[in-house]
Amino acid sequence: MAAEALGQRRAVRPPPWRDIRVLRVVIQVAFLVVVVATVWYLYNNLRSNTRLGFDWLQQPAGFSIRDAPGYSPGQRVLAAIRVGFFNTAQVAFLGIALATVLGIIIGIARLSTNWLVRRAAALYVEALRNIPVLLIIVLIYGAVMLQLPGVANAGEFLESFIFSNRGVSVPWYQSQEGATSYVAVIGLGVLVAAALWVWRTRRFDRTGEPHHRVLWALGTVAGFILAGYFVLGAPIALSLPELEGRRVTGGTSLGTEYAALLIGLVLYTASHIAEIVRGSIQAVPHGQTEAANAIALTGFQRLRYVVLPQAFRIMIPPLANQYLNLTKNSSLAVAIGYPELTRIIGTVIGNGNPAPPSIAILMGCYLIFSIGISIITNIVNRALSLEPRT
Amino acid sequence: MTRKLLLLLALVLALVATACTDGGGDQAGEEGGEPGLEATDGAAVQTEQTDGTGADAGGTGESVLQDVQSRGTLRCGVNEEVPGFGFTTEEGEFEGFDIDFCRVVAAAVLGDSEAVEFVSLTAEQRFTALQSGEIDVLIRNTTWTASRDGGEEADFTLPTFYDGQAFMVKGDAGVGAIDDLDGSDVCTLSGTTTELNLTTEAEARGLDINAITFDDNDQLIQAFQADRCDAWTSDASQLAGVRSTWPDGEGGPEALTILDEIISKEPLGPAVREGDADWFDAVNWAVIATIQAEEFEITQDNLEEMRQSDDPNILRLLGEAASDEEPTLDPGLGLDTDFAVNVIEQVGNYGEIFERNVGADSNLGLERGLNAQWTDGGLHYAPPYR
Repeated sequence: MAAEALGQRRAVRPPPWRDIRVLRVVIQVAFLVVVVATVWYLYNNLRSNTRLGFDWLQQPAGFSIRDAPGYSPGQRVLAAIRVGFFNTAQVAFLGIALATVLGIIIGIARLSTNWLVRRAAALYVEALRNIPVLLIIVLIYGAVMLQLPGVANAGEFLESFIFSNRGVSVPWYQSQEGATSYVAVIGLGVLVAAALWVWRTRRFDRTGEPHHRVLWALGTVAGFILAGYFVLGAPIALSLPELEGRRVTGGTSLGTEYAALLIGLVLYTASHIAEIVRGSIQAVPHGQTEAANAIALTGFQRLRYVVLPQAFRIMIPPLANQYLNLTKNSSLAVAIGYPELTRIIGTVIGNGNPAPPSIAILMGCYLIFSIGISIITNIVNRALSLEPRT
Repeated sequence: MTRKLLLLLALVLALVATACTDGGGDQAGEEGGEPGLEATDGAAVQTEQTDGTGADAGGTGESVLQDVQSRGTLRCGVNEEVPGFGFTTEEGEFEGFDIDFCRVVAAAVLGDSEAVEFVSLTAEQRFTALQSGEIDVLIRNTTWTASRDGGEEADFTLPTFYDGQAFMVKGDAGVGAIDDLDGSDVCTLSGTTTELNLTTEAEARGLDINAITFDDNDQLIQAFQADRCDAWTSDASQLAGVRSTWPDGEGGPEALTILDEIISKEPLGPAVREGDADWFDAVNWAVIATIQAEEFEITQDNLEEMRQSDDPNILRLLGEAASDEEPTLDPGLGLDTDFAVNVIEQVGNYGEIFERNVGADSNLGLERGLNAQWTDGGLHYAPPYR
């Protein structure tokens, strides 16, 4: 029966080379074959031309990386790559934090009723957004950081800040005896502050009396910090930077290249974030602002309690994009010689290690960063998203 | 659903069958739409046959020598930032000692020293470019080391230049020796032997030195001029090259001092991809010919006289028969028997190349030193051409 039906159908069927059902399958299979063949060809080409495998990761690295405590040139290549990984992570983390703060400020400033503030913010955004970030980084490095006085006549400020084109040094703490317990005490203080925060919030919900939870929490932490300092007998000391020959000792230093990279990335990304912030605020229905005005909220309260919470919800996805961009843009440090991941991998390749596996590691690392940022922003996004009331 | 799946299966089988048998045709209908695919498959089969000897080269399986000869140009990986060795003039022309050796190879292999396509590379890019076949030969002040010979899968010919690593400081920096550099920042290029040597040397001497590494010399010069680092370390010849063109606005060459101490051996020479013996021989003997020519005192000027010379050794090198009865020597290098004539006529002997680019009368003003002939106490010693 089936054969009969098939036979009948074949009679009305167009020839196979015009039958869309056949053609569809043929095209898909052909495409698959082309893709597989290409990948196979590329892989073979790679395999015949270069060394693959990862055994070179265990070889001694041989090159030094500055400002990398715990790393020495005799360590394995893997250790050098790890330094690069954490340097990139550090730049990305700080950069994201600073760019977000700056971006929000400028984004809000763009909507200010003050003509001068509004125009200045617009100028900032338009100027920085339209310049390649590489140019900004190179410019800040070459035209700003390198033009600081040389180390021989480094500038000093209040005897506690030293700046030259090798870096900026600021006072920092120095661990003394009992520093570990001090950290524990401060941690305890933070826990207590959190508990107080919850208590004040609940009390506010119950009675409606002002909670002052920020004051309570900060006060508690400050109290623990002060009490701990005296009880433990000065567990940390202040360390002032001091110029010794061509080196600065004491304090902590922000290297020129690091500073240039960070500033460049923050300035550039902040201009994009400012636009996102502005757009998100404007996307909050105007009725919300009017309602806030109607219940006599002040300008700040309107922003803090009505507009921004709703704007944040809109902001998160595009912000995540900017965070990813900032992380990936940090690879532009190759132009100014800051030892982040891309630069270290470049050095590794230049020192006689095979390029394809090195690049694979590089790609894997950036993938880790990107996925990490995506996961975090997704969690935030979900937490902030509107839940339908049931 | 199942029918569709079966149809798909049949199609895949049919395609595989055509691809394997390379028959095509009789399967009719279905694969009429992709003649291109069949053609590539056929090509793949052909290549497999040609390099069935087990050679695993990615391209056609032939030696680079044949590739270069059929292409008609030599692709030479060079530097464009080191005055005297490899740099671009204001007119955009490549010039320098290494550049001339690219021309030597082109003259030997193709008979035309101008048939070179220069590919400028950074230190980090160079070996990847060589491995991937983007360039035929790498002549970019590259030091011959064990891990490069092994790991980078490069083969180094006889060195063209015996160099050593030195330090350059600004005259007013108050640094007279390497030991004065304790606690200082030193600029260098990343992915170079100098970067590794700096680390080793500082450790051996117990000096606290920060290496500030850059990708290329332009960035490094900017940082060095701004006093970002106290010293610049690189091969002595490179430093001499940079010094010779130091801008007058920065005090000119006199503003810079190259410290006398040499901390390493840096034999620089051409590198080719590993495992291609024919190509290696051709490049190697092109280099050797320049050295041998200098030893025989054959120059661009006296080349024609030398071709009539009485010395059988000279005649052999120049591809001349000693007498009418004797055949000319073809050592089987895959080069024309008179390749040395092309090299000397179009580029010159080793001494001429040296003097023209980096010698005492050039801007760099380098002494021959280690780079003299072995007869003058140098290291250049050409194996006999016979």
